[in-house]
Amino acid sequence: MSCVLEIKNLNAGYGEIQILWDVSIKTCSGLCAIIGSNGAGKTTLLRAITGIIPTMSGSIIFDGKDITKLPAHIRAQMGVIMVPEGRLLFGEMSVLENLQMGAYLKRAKDKYKQNLDFVFSLFPKLSERINQKAQSLSGGEQQMVAIARGLMADPKILIFDEPSLGLSPKLTIEVFSIIKNLKEKGIAMLLVEQNVHLSLSIADNAYVLSEGKLVLSGSGGDLLENPQVKEAFLGL
Amino acid sequence: MLAYVNAVISGILIGLAYAIAALGLNLIWGVMKVINLSHGAFIAFGMFAAYMSVKLLGVSVYTSLIPIFVAGLIVGIVAFFVSLYRVLNAPELTTLLSTYSLSLILIGLGTFFFTTNPRAIDTHLGSITLGYSSISYSRIIVGLISLFLAGTLYLFLFKTSLGKAIRAVSQNPTAAKLYGINTTLVLSISFGIGVAFASVSGALIASLFPFTILSGGVYELKSFVICVLGGLGSPAGAILGGLILGLLENLLSLKMPVDYMPFIEFSILVIILLIKPNGILGRR
Repeated sequence: MSCVLEIKNLNAGYGEIQILWDVSIKTCSGLCAIIGSNGAGKTTLLRAITGIIPTMSGSIIFDGKDITKLPAHIRAQMGVIMVPEGRLLFGEMSVLENLQMGAYLKRAKDKYKQNLDFVFSLFPKLSERINQKAQSLSGGEQQMVAIARGLMADPKILIFDEPSLGLSPKLTIEVFSIIKNLKEKGIAMLLVEQNVHLSLSIADNAYVLSEGKLVLSGSGGDLLENPQVKEAFLGL
Repeated sequence: MLAYVNAVISGILIGLAYAIAALGLNLIWGVMKVINLSHGAFIAFGMFAAYMSVKLLGVSVYTSLIPIFVAGLIVGIVAFFVSLYRVLNAPELTTLLSTYSLSLILIGLGTFFFTTNPRAIDTHLGSITLGYSSISYSRIIVGLISLFLAGTLYLFLFKTSLGKAIRAVSQNPTAAKLYGINTTLVLSISFGIGVAFASVSGALIASLFPFTILSGGVYELKSFVICVLGGLGSPAGAILGGLILGLLENLLSLKMPVDYMPFIEFSILVIILLIKPNGILGRR
Protein backbone atom coordinates (compact mmCIF):
# COMPACT_ATOMS: atom_id res chain seq x y z
CA MET A 1 0.00 0.00 0.00
CA SER A 2 1.42 3.40 -0.95
CA CYS A 3 1.71 5.93 1.80
CA VAL A 4 0.61 9.55 1.61
CA LEU A 5 3.44 10.83 3.73
CA GLU A 6 6.71 9.21 4.59
CA ILE A 7 9.39 10.88 6.65
CA LYS A 8 12.82 9.30 6.75
CA ASN A 9 15.54 10.15 9.29
CA LEU A 10 14.50 13.76 9.59
CA ASN A 11 16.77 16.20 11.41
CA ALA A 12 15.50 19.74 11.81
CA GLY A 13 15.56 22.72 14.11
CA TYR A 14 15.98 26.46 14.28
CA GLY A 15 19.27 27.90 13.08
CA GLU A 16 22.03 26.14 15.01
CA ILE A 17 19.68 24.48 17.46
CA GLN A 18 18.64 20.99 16.46
CA ILE A 19 15.26 19.87 17.78
CA LEU A 20 14.40 16.72 15.83
CA TRP A 21 16.79 13.78 15.73
CA ASP A 22 16.38 11.06 13.11
CA VAL A 23 12.60 11.03 13.13
CA SER A 24 10.92 8.56 10.78
CA ILE A 25 7.15 8.48 10.37
CA LYS A 26 4.71 6.93 7.93
CA THR A 27 1.12 8.01 7.35
CA CYS A 28 -0.67 5.75 4.94
CA SER A 29 -4.35 6.43 5.29
CA GLY A 30 -6.75 7.37 8.01
CA LEU A 31 -5.61 9.24 11.06
CA CYS A 32 -2.08 9.28 12.41
CA ALA A 33 -1.51 10.88 15.79
CA ILE A 34 1.73 12.24 17.19
CA ILE A 35 1.83 12.70 20.92
CA GLY A 36 4.46 13.93 23.29
CA SER A 37 4.92 16.37 26.13
CA ASN A 38 5.59 20.08 25.76
CA GLY A 39 8.86 20.73 23.98
CA ALA A 40 9.04 17.22 22.51
CA GLY A 41 9.31 18.70 19.00
CA LYS A 42 5.79 18.02 17.72
CA THR A 43 5.22 21.50 16.31
CA THR A 44 8.74 21.58 14.89
CA LEU A 45 8.01 18.34 13.07
CA LEU A 46 4.87 19.80 11.52
CA ARG A 47 6.70 22.98 10.54
CA ALA A 48 9.33 20.88 8.79
CA ILE A 49 6.65 18.85 7.00
CA THR A 50 4.83 21.96 5.76
CA GLY A 51 8.06 23.74 4.86
CA ILE A 52 7.83 26.66 7.28
CA ILE A 53 11.31 25.72 8.54
CA PRO A 54 14.06 24.06 6.47
CA THR A 55 15.27 20.54 7.19
CA MET A 56 18.88 19.80 8.09
CA SER A 57 18.93 16.29 6.67
CA GLY A 58 16.63 13.40 5.93
CA SER A 59 13.76 13.33 3.50
CA ILE A 60 10.04 13.98 3.32
CA ILE A 61 8.18 12.00 0.69
CA PHE A 62 4.65 13.08 -0.11
CA ASP A 63 2.49 11.19 -2.57
CA GLY A 64 5.59 9.47 -3.93
CA LYS A 65 7.47 12.74 -4.52
CA ASP A 66 10.39 14.11 -2.55
CA ILE A 67 9.28 17.48 -1.18
CA THR A 68 12.15 18.01 1.26
CA LYS A 69 13.56 21.02 -0.60
CA LEU A 70 10.32 22.57 -1.86
CA PRO A 71 9.07 25.91 -0.46
CA ALA A 72 5.94 25.92 1.72
CA HIS A 73 3.56 27.33 -0.90
CA ILE A 74 4.48 24.62 -3.41
CA ARG A 75 3.84 21.92 -0.79
CA ALA A 76 0.43 23.50 -0.17
CA GLN A 77 -0.23 23.39 -3.92
CA MET A 78 0.50 19.67 -3.85
CA GLY A 79 -2.07 19.15 -1.09
CA VAL A 80 -0.11 19.32 2.18
CA ILE A 81 -2.43 21.52 4.23
CA MET A 82 -2.11 22.44 7.89
CA VAL A 83 -4.58 23.86 10.36
CA PRO A 84 -1.94 25.64 12.43
CA GLU A 85 -1.58 25.97 16.17
CA GLY A 86 -3.17 29.19 17.38
CA ARG A 87 -5.37 29.12 14.25
CA LEU A 88 -3.51 31.94 12.44
CA LEU A 89 -6.65 33.29 10.81
CA PHE A 90 -6.64 36.38 8.64
CA GLY A 91 -8.16 38.43 11.45
CA GLU A 92 -9.16 41.56 9.53
CA MET A 93 -10.88 39.51 6.87
CA SER A 94 -14.43 38.20 6.98
CA VAL A 95 -15.18 34.52 7.61
CA LEU A 96 -16.04 34.08 3.93
CA GLU A 97 -12.79 35.73 2.83
CA ASN A 98 -10.85 33.40 5.12
CA LEU A 99 -12.55 30.45 3.42
CA GLN A 100 -11.78 31.97 0.01
CA MET A 101 -8.12 32.30 1.01
CA GLY A 102 -8.20 28.62 1.93
CA ALA A 103 -9.31 27.92 -1.62
CA TYR A 104 -6.69 30.25 -3.11
CA LEU A 105 -5.00 27.47 -5.06
CA LYS A 106 -6.11 26.52 -8.55
CA ARG A 107 -6.93 22.93 -7.56
CA ALA A 108 -9.06 24.10 -4.64
CA LYS A 109 -10.69 26.93 -6.61
CA ASP A 110 -12.15 24.42 -9.05
CA LYS A 111 -13.93 22.67 -6.20
CA TYR A 112 -14.83 25.88 -4.35
CA LYS A 113 -18.60 25.55 -4.49
CA GLN A 114 -18.62 21.87 -3.57
CA ASN A 115 -16.18 22.33 -0.67
CA LEU A 116 -18.06 25.38 0.61
CA ASP A 117 -21.28 23.38 0.79
CA PHE A 118 -19.45 20.59 2.59
CA VAL A 119 -17.87 23.01 5.09
CA PHE A 120 -21.21 24.68 5.82
CA SER A 121 -22.86 21.29 6.33
CA LEU A 122 -20.10 20.51 8.84
CA PHE A 123 -20.29 23.91 10.56
CA PRO A 124 -23.81 25.29 10.05
CA LYS A 125 -23.00 28.12 12.48
CA LEU A 126 -20.39 29.55 10.13
CA SER A 127 -22.86 30.10 7.33
CA GLU A 128 -24.64 32.61 9.58
CA ARG A 129 -21.44 34.54 10.18
CA ILE A 130 -19.84 34.77 6.77
CA ASN A 131 -19.58 38.57 6.84
CA GLN A 132 -18.21 38.87 10.34
CA LYS A 133 -14.52 39.66 10.82
CA ALA A 134 -12.65 36.52 11.87
CA GLN A 135 -11.02 38.23 14.85
CA SER A 136 -14.43 39.13 16.30
CA LEU A 137 -15.42 35.45 16.70
CA SER A 138 -15.09 33.42 19.88
CA GLY A 139 -12.20 30.97 20.28
CA GLY A 140 -14.32 27.96 19.38
CA GLU A 141 -15.77 29.63 16.31
CA GLN A 142 -12.31 30.70 15.23
CA GLN A 143 -11.14 27.10 15.47
CA MET A 144 -14.04 26.09 13.26
CA VAL A 145 -13.07 28.73 10.69
CA ALA A 146 -9.49 27.41 10.82
CA ILE A 147 -10.62 23.82 10.18
CA ALA A 148 -13.05 24.98 7.50
CA ARG A 149 -10.29 26.99 5.80
CA GLY A 150 -8.12 23.87 5.81
CA LEU A 151 -10.89 21.83 4.18
CA MET A 152 -11.47 24.53 1.56
CA ALA A 153 -7.90 23.89 0.38
CA ASP A 154 -9.00 20.41 -0.72
CA PRO A 155 -6.18 18.69 1.17
CA LYS A 156 -4.59 15.37 0.27
CA ILE A 157 -3.36 15.28 3.82
CA LEU A 158 -4.80 17.52 6.51
CA ILE A 159 -2.48 18.28 9.39
CA PHE A 160 -3.83 19.48 12.73
CA ASP A 161 -1.53 21.21 15.20
CA GLU A 162 -3.11 21.24 18.67
CA PRO A 163 -6.69 21.82 17.50
CA SER A 164 -8.10 21.70 21.03
CA LEU A 165 -5.68 24.23 22.47
CA GLY A 166 -7.55 26.86 24.46
CA LEU A 167 -10.94 25.26 23.94
CA SER A 168 -13.39 24.24 26.64
CA PRO A 169 -13.85 20.48 27.23
CA LYS A 170 -17.21 20.61 25.45
CA LEU A 171 -15.73 22.27 22.37
CA THR A 172 -12.77 19.88 22.47
CA ILE A 173 -15.17 16.94 22.19
CA GLU A 174 -16.91 18.74 19.33
CA VAL A 175 -13.63 19.27 17.46
CA PHE A 176 -12.70 15.63 17.94
CA SER A 177 -16.04 14.42 16.68
CA ILE A 178 -15.48 16.52 13.55
CA ILE A 179 -12.04 15.00 13.07
CA LYS A 180 -13.56 11.56 13.48
CA ASN A 181 -16.23 12.49 10.97
CA LEU A 182 -13.56 13.60 8.47
CA LYS A 183 -11.72 10.34 9.01
CA GLU A 184 -14.83 8.44 8.01
CA LYS A 185 -14.96 10.57 4.86
CA GLY A 186 -11.55 9.13 3.98
CA ILE A 187 -9.38 12.24 4.37
CA ALA A 188 -5.82 11.36 5.39
CA MET A 189 -4.90 13.24 8.53
CA LEU A 190 -1.98 13.88 10.83
CA LEU A 191 -2.88 15.01 14.31
CA VAL A 192 -0.67 16.55 16.95
CA GLU A 193 -2.43 16.88 20.25
CA GLN A 194 -1.92 17.43 23.94
CA ASN A 195 -5.10 15.51 24.65
CA VAL A 196 -3.46 12.08 24.49
CA HIS A 197 -6.44 9.96 25.48
CA LEU A 198 -8.81 11.43 22.93
CA SER A 199 -6.25 11.39 20.11
CA LEU A 200 -5.19 7.80 20.68
CA SER A 201 -8.76 6.61 20.87
CA ILE A 202 -9.53 7.91 17.36
CA ALA A 203 -6.10 7.33 15.76
CA ASP A 204 -5.33 4.42 13.42
CA ASN A 205 -1.67 4.60 14.20
CA ALA A 206 0.37 6.80 16.49
CA TYR A 207 3.87 7.87 17.40
CA VAL A 208 5.30 9.12 20.65
CA LEU A 209 7.94 11.85 20.50
CA SER A 210 10.19 12.65 23.41
CA GLU A 211 12.99 15.21 23.39
CA GLY A 212 12.99 15.29 19.63
CA LYS A 213 13.31 11.53 19.21
CA LEU A 214 10.76 8.89 18.33
CA VAL A 215 10.33 6.57 21.31
CA LEU A 216 7.23 4.50 20.59
CA SER A 217 4.91 3.70 17.75
CA GLY A 218 1.95 1.47 17.17
CA SER A 219 -1.77 1.48 16.62
CA GLY A 220 -3.82 3.97 18.60
CA GLY A 221 -5.41 1.18 20.64
CA ASP A 222 -2.09 -0.47 21.47
CA LEU A 223 -0.51 2.75 22.66
CA LEU A 224 -3.55 3.50 24.77
CA GLU A 225 -2.83 0.24 26.64
CA ASN A 226 0.94 0.75 26.71
CA PRO A 227 2.19 1.07 30.31
CA GLN A 228 4.79 3.71 29.40
CA VAL A 229 2.19 5.87 27.70
CA LYS A 230 -0.21 5.35 30.57
CA GLU A 231 2.34 6.45 33.09
CA ALA A 232 3.78 9.40 31.14
CA PHE A 233 0.65 10.94 29.66
CA LEU A 234 -2.46 9.53 31.18
CA GLY A 235 -1.44 9.65 34.82
CA LEU A 236 -2.50 6.07 35.42
CA MET B 1 -13.64 84.78 3.06
CA LEU B 2 -13.02 84.10 -0.62
CA ALA B 3 -9.42 83.28 0.14
CA TYR B 4 -10.56 80.64 2.62
CA VAL B 5 -12.92 78.98 0.15
CA ASN B 6 -10.07 78.86 -2.34
CA ALA B 7 -7.71 77.42 0.24
CA VAL B 8 -10.19 74.71 1.24
CA ILE B 9 -10.81 73.57 -2.35
CA SER B 10 -7.11 73.71 -3.19
CA GLY B 11 -6.25 71.95 0.02
CA ILE B 12 -8.58 69.06 -0.68
CA LEU B 13 -7.28 68.63 -4.23
CA ILE B 14 -3.60 68.74 -3.29
CA GLY B 15 -4.30 66.65 -0.20
CA LEU B 16 -5.52 63.85 -2.45
CA ALA B 17 -2.20 63.89 -4.32
CA TYR B 18 -0.34 63.72 -0.98
CA ALA B 19 -2.59 60.81 -0.04
CA ILE B 20 -1.39 58.91 -3.13
CA ALA B 21 2.22 59.33 -2.02
CA ALA B 22 1.29 58.26 1.51
CA LEU B 23 -0.67 55.23 0.27
CA GLY B 24 2.51 53.91 -1.35
CA LEU B 25 4.47 54.24 1.88
CA ASN B 26 1.58 52.81 3.89
CA LEU B 27 1.12 49.74 1.68
CA ILE B 28 4.78 48.79 1.99
CA TRP B 29 4.70 49.25 5.76
CA GLY B 30 1.42 47.38 6.08
CA VAL B 31 2.51 44.36 4.07
CA MET B 32 6.15 43.88 5.04
CA LYS B 33 6.66 46.11 8.09
CA VAL B 34 9.41 48.01 6.31
CA ILE B 35 9.76 51.78 6.48
CA ASN B 36 10.80 52.63 2.96
CA LEU B 37 13.38 55.40 3.26
CA SER B 38 13.80 55.42 -0.53
CA HIS B 39 10.21 56.68 -0.85
CA GLY B 40 11.33 60.27 -1.50
CA ALA B 41 13.83 59.15 -4.13
CA PHE B 42 11.03 57.39 -6.02
CA ILE B 43 8.84 60.50 -5.76
CA ALA B 44 11.72 62.47 -7.33
CA PHE B 45 12.06 59.72 -9.95
CA GLY B 46 8.41 60.28 -10.88
CA MET B 47 8.90 64.05 -11.02
CA PHE B 48 11.82 63.79 -13.41
CA ALA B 49 10.25 61.04 -15.46
CA ALA B 50 7.27 63.35 -16.02
CA TYR B 51 9.57 66.28 -16.74
CA MET B 52 11.57 64.32 -19.33
CA SER B 53 8.41 62.96 -20.95
CA VAL B 54 7.04 66.46 -21.42
CA LYS B 55 10.38 67.98 -22.43
CA LEU B 56 11.80 65.30 -24.72
CA LEU B 57 8.79 63.38 -25.97
CA GLY B 58 6.37 66.27 -25.99
CA VAL B 59 3.54 64.21 -24.42
CA SER B 60 1.21 65.67 -21.84
CA VAL B 61 2.16 65.09 -18.22
CA TYR B 62 -1.10 63.18 -17.72
CA THR B 63 -0.32 60.73 -20.53
CA SER B 64 3.07 60.13 -18.97
CA LEU B 65 1.42 58.81 -15.79
CA ILE B 66 0.69 55.41 -17.33
CA PRO B 67 4.27 54.57 -18.36
CA ILE B 68 5.52 56.10 -15.10
CA PHE B 69 3.23 53.79 -13.12
CA VAL B 70 4.43 50.74 -15.06
CA ALA B 71 8.08 51.82 -14.76
CA GLY B 72 7.61 52.41 -11.01
CA LEU B 73 6.11 48.95 -10.62
CA ILE B 74 9.02 47.27 -12.43
CA VAL B 75 11.72 49.39 -10.74
CA GLY B 76 10.07 48.65 -7.39
CA ILE B 77 10.07 44.89 -7.93
CA VAL B 78 13.73 44.98 -8.99
CA ALA B 79 14.58 47.21 -6.02
CA PHE B 80 12.85 44.74 -3.71
CA PHE B 81 15.01 41.83 -4.85
CA VAL B 82 18.20 43.92 -4.89
CA SER B 83 17.90 45.72 -1.58
CA LEU B 84 15.23 44.12 0.59
CA TYR B 85 14.63 40.46 -0.09
CA ARG B 86 17.69 39.16 1.73
CA VAL B 87 17.32 41.41 4.79
CA LEU B 88 13.55 41.14 5.35
CA ASN B 89 13.92 38.93 8.42
CA ALA B 90 16.81 40.93 9.84
CA PRO B 91 16.21 43.51 12.59
CA GLU B 92 14.39 46.72 11.51
CA LEU B 93 17.58 48.77 11.45
CA THR B 94 18.88 46.68 8.54
CA THR B 95 15.91 47.41 6.29
CA LEU B 96 16.10 51.10 7.23
CA LEU B 97 19.78 51.21 6.27
CA SER B 98 19.18 49.21 3.13
CA THR B 99 16.37 51.42 1.81
CA TYR B 100 18.28 54.53 2.92
CA SER B 101 21.34 53.49 0.94
CA LEU B 102 19.11 52.83 -2.06
CA SER B 103 17.82 56.37 -1.65
CA LEU B 104 21.38 57.79 -1.51
CA ILE B 105 22.34 55.96 -4.69
CA LEU B 106 19.23 57.10 -6.58
CA ILE B 107 19.46 60.72 -5.44
CA GLY B 108 23.20 60.72 -6.17
CA LEU B 109 22.62 59.49 -9.71
CA GLY B 110 19.79 61.98 -10.16
CA THR B 111 21.95 64.86 -8.99
CA PHE B 112 24.70 63.81 -11.39
CA PHE B 113 22.36 63.77 -14.39
CA PHE B 114 19.94 66.59 -13.58
CA THR B 115 21.89 68.83 -11.13
CA THR B 116 19.91 70.41 -8.33
CA ASN B 117 18.48 73.21 -10.47
CA PRO B 118 14.77 73.79 -10.00
CA ARG B 119 12.45 72.67 -12.80
CA ALA B 120 8.78 73.12 -13.50
CA ILE B 121 6.19 71.64 -15.83
CA ASP B 122 3.75 74.09 -17.34
CA THR B 123 0.41 72.48 -18.12
CA HIS B 124 -1.00 75.65 -19.79
CA LEU B 125 -4.50 74.83 -18.66
CA GLY B 126 -5.64 78.06 -17.04
CA SER B 127 -8.26 78.08 -14.33
CA ILE B 128 -11.95 77.83 -13.76
CA THR B 129 -14.03 80.37 -11.86
CA LEU B 130 -16.67 78.91 -9.62
CA GLY B 131 -18.75 81.69 -8.18
CA TYR B 132 -16.11 83.98 -6.71
CA SER B 133 -13.30 81.49 -6.35
CA SER B 134 -10.85 80.46 -8.98
CA ILE B 135 -9.22 77.04 -9.13
CA SER B 136 -6.63 75.98 -11.67
CA TYR B 137 -7.66 73.13 -13.96
CA SER B 138 -4.40 71.33 -13.30
CA ARG B 139 -5.28 71.03 -9.61
CA ILE B 140 -8.72 69.67 -10.40
CA ILE B 141 -7.22 67.07 -12.73
CA VAL B 142 -4.62 66.08 -10.12
CA GLY B 143 -7.39 65.69 -7.53
CA LEU B 144 -9.54 63.57 -9.83
CA ILE B 145 -6.67 61.32 -10.93
CA SER B 146 -5.66 60.82 -7.29
CA LEU B 147 -9.20 59.91 -6.36
CA PHE B 148 -9.31 57.44 -9.25
CA LEU B 149 -6.00 55.86 -8.16
CA ALA B 150 -7.12 55.52 -4.55
CA GLY B 151 -10.40 53.94 -5.66
CA THR B 152 -8.59 51.55 -7.98
CA LEU B 153 -6.21 50.51 -5.21
CA TYR B 154 -9.17 49.83 -2.95
CA LEU B 155 -10.92 47.68 -5.56
CA PHE B 156 -7.66 45.87 -6.29
CA LEU B 157 -6.99 45.06 -2.63
CA PHE B 158 -10.53 44.02 -1.73
CA LYS B 159 -11.97 42.52 -4.91
CA THR B 160 -9.18 40.75 -6.78
CA SER B 161 -7.47 37.49 -5.95
CA LEU B 162 -3.98 39.02 -5.95
CA GLY B 163 -5.21 41.93 -3.82
CA LYS B 164 -6.67 39.54 -1.28
CA ALA B 165 -3.40 37.61 -1.27
CA ILE B 166 -1.58 40.88 -0.45
CA ARG B 167 -3.94 41.51 2.46
CA ALA B 168 -3.57 37.91 3.63
CA VAL B 169 0.22 38.20 3.66
CA SER B 170 0.02 41.48 5.58
CA GLN B 171 -2.25 39.91 8.21
CA ASN B 172 -0.53 36.58 8.62
CA PRO B 173 2.45 35.68 6.42
CA THR B 174 2.82 32.15 7.86
CA ALA B 175 -0.82 31.24 7.23
CA ALA B 176 -0.55 32.74 3.73
CA LYS B 177 2.38 30.42 2.97
CA LEU B 178 0.50 27.42 4.38
CA TYR B 179 -2.35 28.08 1.97
CA GLY B 180 -0.21 28.23 -1.13
CA ILE B 181 0.52 31.94 -1.48
CA ASN B 182 3.99 32.68 -2.80
CA THR B 183 4.81 35.30 -0.19
CA THR B 184 8.05 36.43 -1.84
CA LEU B 185 6.19 37.20 -5.05
CA VAL B 186 3.41 38.98 -3.18
CA LEU B 187 5.90 41.07 -1.20
CA SER B 188 7.79 42.09 -4.34
CA ILE B 189 4.57 43.10 -6.11
CA SER B 190 3.45 45.09 -3.05
CA PHE B 191 6.76 46.92 -3.00
CA GLY B 192 6.36 47.55 -6.74
CA ILE B 193 2.89 49.02 -6.22
CA GLY B 194 4.18 51.18 -3.36
CA VAL B 195 6.95 52.54 -5.58
CA ALA B 196 4.54 53.02 -8.49
CA PHE B 197 2.29 55.12 -6.24
CA ALA B 198 5.29 57.16 -5.06
CA SER B 199 6.38 57.79 -8.66
CA VAL B 200 2.93 58.74 -9.90
CA SER B 201 2.38 61.07 -6.96
CA GLY B 202 5.73 62.67 -7.82
CA ALA B 203 4.57 63.21 -11.40
CA LEU B 204 1.25 64.66 -10.21
CA ILE B 205 2.95 67.02 -7.77
CA ALA B 206 5.44 68.05 -10.48
CA SER B 207 2.52 69.18 -12.62
CA LEU B 208 1.61 71.72 -9.92
CA PHE B 209 4.78 72.94 -8.22
CA PRO B 210 8.40 73.57 -9.20
CA PHE B 211 10.81 70.90 -7.98
CA THR B 212 14.44 69.79 -7.81
CA ILE B 213 15.97 66.33 -7.55
CA LEU B 214 15.99 66.86 -3.77
CA SER B 215 12.26 67.67 -3.51
CA GLY B 216 11.39 64.03 -2.90
CA GLY B 217 12.54 64.37 0.70
CA VAL B 218 9.96 67.10 1.38
CA TYR B 219 7.13 64.87 0.17
CA GLU B 220 8.56 61.83 1.92
CA LEU B 221 8.26 63.77 5.17
CA LYS B 222 4.67 64.70 4.29
CA SER B 223 3.94 61.02 3.60
CA PHE B 224 5.30 60.05 7.02
CA VAL B 225 3.22 62.69 8.75
CA ILE B 226 0.12 61.59 6.83
CA CYS B 227 0.65 57.91 7.65
CA VAL B 228 1.21 58.58 11.34
CA LEU B 229 -1.72 61.02 11.45
CA GLY B 230 -4.16 58.67 9.71
CA GLY B 231 -2.81 55.46 11.20
CA LEU B 232 0.06 53.34 9.88
CA GLY B 233 -1.20 50.43 7.82
CA SER B 234 -4.65 51.93 7.28
CA PRO B 235 -5.37 52.91 3.64
CA ALA B 236 -8.42 54.97 4.63
CA GLY B 237 -6.23 56.67 7.22
CA ALA B 238 -3.76 57.68 4.51
CA ILE B 239 -6.50 59.42 2.56
CA LEU B 240 -7.91 61.14 5.62
CA GLY B 241 -4.40 62.18 6.69
CA GLY B 242 -3.66 63.49 3.18
CA LEU B 243 -6.79 65.63 3.21
CA ILE B 244 -6.02 67.01 6.67
CA LEU B 245 -2.46 67.89 5.71
CA GLY B 246 -3.50 69.45 2.40
CA LEU B 247 -6.16 71.57 4.09
CA LEU B 248 -3.86 72.60 6.91
CA GLU B 249 -1.12 73.58 4.52
CA ASN B 250 -3.36 75.70 2.34
CA LEU B 251 -5.20 77.36 5.21
CA LEU B 252 -2.08 78.11 7.26
CA SER B 253 -0.27 79.55 4.25
CA LEU B 254 -2.82 82.36 4.31
CA LYS B 255 -1.49 83.42 7.71
CA MET B 256 2.19 82.55 7.70
CA PRO B 257 5.12 82.06 5.30
CA VAL B 258 5.18 78.72 3.44
CA ASP B 259 8.69 78.14 4.82
CA TYR B 260 7.13 77.31 8.17
CA MET B 261 5.34 74.26 6.81
CA PRO B 262 8.06 71.64 7.52
CA PHE B 263 8.16 72.93 11.09
CA ILE B 264 4.38 72.60 11.41
CA GLU B 265 4.47 69.11 9.87
CA PHE B 266 7.16 67.93 12.25
CA SER B 267 5.20 69.35 15.17
CA ILE B 268 2.11 67.41 14.06
CA LEU B 269 4.22 64.26 13.83
CA VAL B 270 5.54 64.70 17.37
CA ILE B 271 2.16 65.64 18.84
CA ILE B 272 0.38 62.67 17.21
CA LEU B 273 3.10 60.29 18.38
CA LEU B 274 2.69 61.66 21.91
CA ILE B 275 -1.08 61.70 22.24
CA LYS B 276 -2.39 59.13 19.71
CA PRO B 277 0.50 57.01 18.45
CA ASN B 278 -1.79 54.73 16.43
CA GLY B 279 -3.22 57.59 14.41
CA ILE B 280 -6.84 58.48 13.81
CA LEU B 281 -7.88 55.25 12.07
CA GLY B 282 -5.03 52.97 13.17
CA ARG B 283 -5.58 49.59 14.70
CA ARG B 284 -4.98 49.15 18.41
